[in-house]
Amino acid sequence: MPSPALLVALPLIVAAVLGALRRMIPRRAADLAGVLTAAGNLAMACWWTAHAIHRTQVYWFGGWFPRGRMALGIGFTMDGYGCALAALAALLTTLALIYSSKHFESAGGHFHPLMLVFLAAMSGFAVSGDLFNLFVFFELMSTAAFALCGLKTREAAPLAGAFNFAVTNSVAAFLMLTGIALLYSTTGALNLAQIGLALAGRHDRLVLAAFVFLTTGFLVKAAVFPFHFWLPDAHAVSPTPVCVLFSGIMVQLGLFGAMRVYATVFEGCFAGTRIPWLFVVFGAATALWGAMMCFAEHHLKRLLAFSTISHTGLMTLAFGLWSKAALTGLFIYLAAHGLVKAGLFFCAGILLHRFETMSEPALFGRGRALRWTGPLWLLGGLGLAAAPGFALAVGESHVTRVAPWTEATFFIAGAMTGAAVLRVGFRVFAGLGDPGPEDRSARLDEKPETTDAGHRVNPVLYAPAFACIGGCVALTFWKGLTRVAEAATTSFMDFNRYAHTVYAGATLVPQVGGAQAALTHGMISAGLRALAAVTVALWAVLHLRMPRRLRWPSHLEGSMRRVRELQSGHPGDYVAWLTLGCAVLGAAAFWLGL
Amino acid sequence: MKRSHRLLLFAVGAAGMAFVYCAGALNMPPWGQYRGPYGDVIAQLAVYQRHATDTVNAVTYDYRGFDTLGEEFILFSAVTGVMLLLRPEPDRSEEKGGGGSGNPASFPDRATLSETVQVFTTAIFGFSVLFGIYMATHGQLTPGGGFQGGVILAAAPMLLYIAENTEAFQRIVSHPLVEFFEGVGAAGYALIGIAALAMGAAFLTNVIPLGKTGDVFSSGTIAAISACVGVEVAAGFTLIIFEYLREILSRSKADEE
Amino acid sequence: MSYPADYPYFIAAWILLCGLYGIARSRHLVHMVISLTVVQSSTYVLLLAIGFRRGGYAPVFAGLQTGVKVVDPIVQALMLTDVVVETTVVALLLAMVVKAHEKGGTTSPDDLRFLRG
Repeated sequence: MPSPALLVALPLIVAAVLGALRRMIPRRAADLAGVLTAAGNLAMACWWTAHAIHRTQVYWFGGWFPRGRMALGIGFTMDGYGCALAALAALLTTLALIYSSKHFESAGGHFHPLMLVFLAAMSGFAVSGDLFNLFVFFELMSTAAFALCGLKTREAAPLAGAFNFAVTNSVAAFLMLTGIALLYSTTGALNLAQIGLALAGRHDRLVLAAFVFLTTGFLVKAAVFPFHFWLPDAHAVSPTPVCVLFSGIMVQLGLFGAMRVYATVFEGCFAGTRIPWLFVVFGAATALWGAMMCFAEHHLKRLLAFSTISHTGLMTLAFGLWSKAALTGLFIYLAAHGLVKAGLFFCAGILLHRFETMSEPALFGRGRALRWTGPLWLLGGLGLAAAPGFALAVGESHVTRVAPWTEATFFIAGAMTGAAVLRVGFRVFAGLGDPGPEDRSARLDEKPETTDAGHRVNPVLYAPAFACIGGCVALTFWKGLTRVAEAATTSFMDFNRYAHTVYAGATLVPQVGGAQAALTHGMISAGLRALAAVTVALWAVLHLRMPRRLRWPSHLEGSMRRVRELQSGHPGDYVAWLTLGCAVLGAAAFWLGL
Repeated sequence: MKRSHRLLLFAVGAAGMAFVYCAGALNMPPWGQYRGPYGDVIAQLAVYQRHATDTVNAVTYDYRGFDTLGEEFILFSAVTGVMLLLRPEPDRSEEKGGGGSGNPASFPDRATLSETVQVFTTAIFGFSVLFGIYMATHGQLTPGGGFQGGVILAAAPMLLYIAENTEAFQRIVSHPLVEFFEGVGAAGYALIGIAALAMGAAFLTNVIPLGKTGDVFSSGTIAAISACVGVEVAAGFTLIIFEYLREILSRSKADEE
Repeated sequence: MSYPADYPYFIAAWILLCGLYGIARSRHLVHMVISLTVVQSSTYVLLLAIGFRRGGYAPVFAGLQTGVKVVDPIVQALMLTDVVVETTVVALLLAMVVKAHEKGGTTSPDDLRFLRG
């Protein structure tokens, strides 16, 4: 049995060693060390996930077992959800490090230590059972991310993007700490299970205030509207392997933090209230806003960033439904979305490597030279639309089975984000229609992030993209997926079982019979979504050749421009939106909770 | 967004946040009457369980030592980030393993500082180093510890810079060993934890003999971890100072040209 | 609860809002980073205020009998490491500002609009 501590300690030690011997270690050795460490984490996390499906376990650091109810030290709870997220983080980091070997500029040897620290932080965040420990890993994740985001320092834009990212997320971290302090004052505890037991169902103003601050902090990381403004800026300027990690797992971990804290600390307090509806409303708003902004973008990485915002909004919506089937669907959707998004970013990276631009009009028709990237990109677009054959459709069908009224949001968000990606695919890889409008944001000067740019694409750049898209398709046909998701959800949602695990050391997870998702219904809506995505994409690409009546209404461009101006690039704006969002969340929480 | 709109948005948001915060604050236990069990339990246990008289550091490096490992690596990543951002442009050829050779722009000598200041700060330098080491190694007994001692140690070379002893300053801060020690300090903390694993206990268990309360060599791993952290923090801050000075000096050189 | 006696909590709230106001209305990137440290200070004030106990000694038992009433060591441990660590994060942010000035020639957030949507 691998020690849970190694999930965090191993990447940290290797990162420190790589940092210490930075000038002496050749590039090849650093690449190899990074890939092997991430692969080691992957193996350990997969082992733990398989173990956690049957038995959740707690691990106390420093040998500090609890005294009665008092938790003296910090504990990791190895449950299904946490271990699976740690496995996804390790998988994406391994693929990102494979992608960045050989060609990617290593920024003076600082890239690998930072990526490994990032992996350690994400792994620790996923399985931590202590509130302040969650905060520390949140900060560690953020600091490594700030540094990685600003890697391409030769232009000014990456610094603006990294700065916006840093300011917004730091404010989020401090709000989170405020929430933690409020909870500590009244319960005198930092362990999640202990806090949940100590609060014992009361929902007075203090608990509500703590909930507002903690949730705001996590939702900023999860890029939920109106806290999302930092994400497109950060993605537009980050190097590709870093974007993969941001969109594939980091943003979703922000949502998971909110979920974890809600499930352990606040669920008992807000059980009779309509507080979970907050997540539904914010999630739906995020999904629709993200989908709309995604379709209006012409910079590939920003487009994918907005689609991440949209899909994370869908996941937030699923979480707000707070039912077993919804969270099962969320689990599957999270894993599948992470894989598809990573695959799309890898393809975008290949385009950047070959053509040194991320602007859709500038890339028009040039992708025809790349034989494999085109089909992968188009498959990715279908995946985002949750077409049949992709595990996103499976996840979505679990959610809409219990809440059919969410079908519309899933449909619009999936179809529009899929259509945006497919539109880019038709333009860039097939040369269909017209190049599209000249777009100010797409004119970001892109210096190459790889050496040897403009030349033939090395297989090491293709393999991760294949693995991701193929993985998502394979996930659909894996029989055990629903069973794993259901076991993870059972142990996640049941606080009594969680508290028992923490104080008793381990608990068995009841094996539920795998519910059959209503396959027929799910397939029909998935097929309709795919059809809608393809149709909208073709319409966008060919609309100038259509009769006048079928074209975009022209006044739409003007109003879209004003909406897009909200994404202003000014950190003061973003913090103002953050404050407003926190206030709205607070007012709504107090209204619903008291 | 126009400035006035932004401030209006902020005003509304701030009002809401103030309402939430104050509503929470009004329901908190009264100030000055800390009643939570966690702190009291630890205060009673720390001296007996760990032979450490400074309970704050016992918490930092032992009871909640895993948090501090994470915090130490936040420092590590931030320092790496500063080095990453301020790295020299690759118009010089990159060496194997990483660019950024250790040759800084030569620091200009300005011989205008009074001799009193020069003599005084040079004398204080030795005392600062001693004091920093004292802080870092006595964390388990009195307030102090690795973080504080490391910062004092890192400030010591700055005294040399202020004293215009730029050759000595340059030699100290640009030595490749500084980066090496930073990594060693960071890895050392995690390795102490692994050592506990290797002995069959949980990660970061205090496996070194605890010694007598009140001795310098007491409280087991608390002292060892504190020393590692001190090394790492000192090296980290030195690297930050060095990177900034090099950046500013290379820019002023470019401005002069 | 009596409002005047609980004033440290309200001070923490005020500091938080001052810091956020500074970030929102800032015209200089360095000023924005320092406003961020102000926000950070509010969390320290809150934490330390929570741990305070009237008449309690410092939780250092060198020269003190064990069993004496002390203030909470946990919150002090939480924030001590934070202070040092956040200094380096501020250094990271200021490095971004320095580089942005070098590449973009400006330190005003209004001029750094490369990423406008």
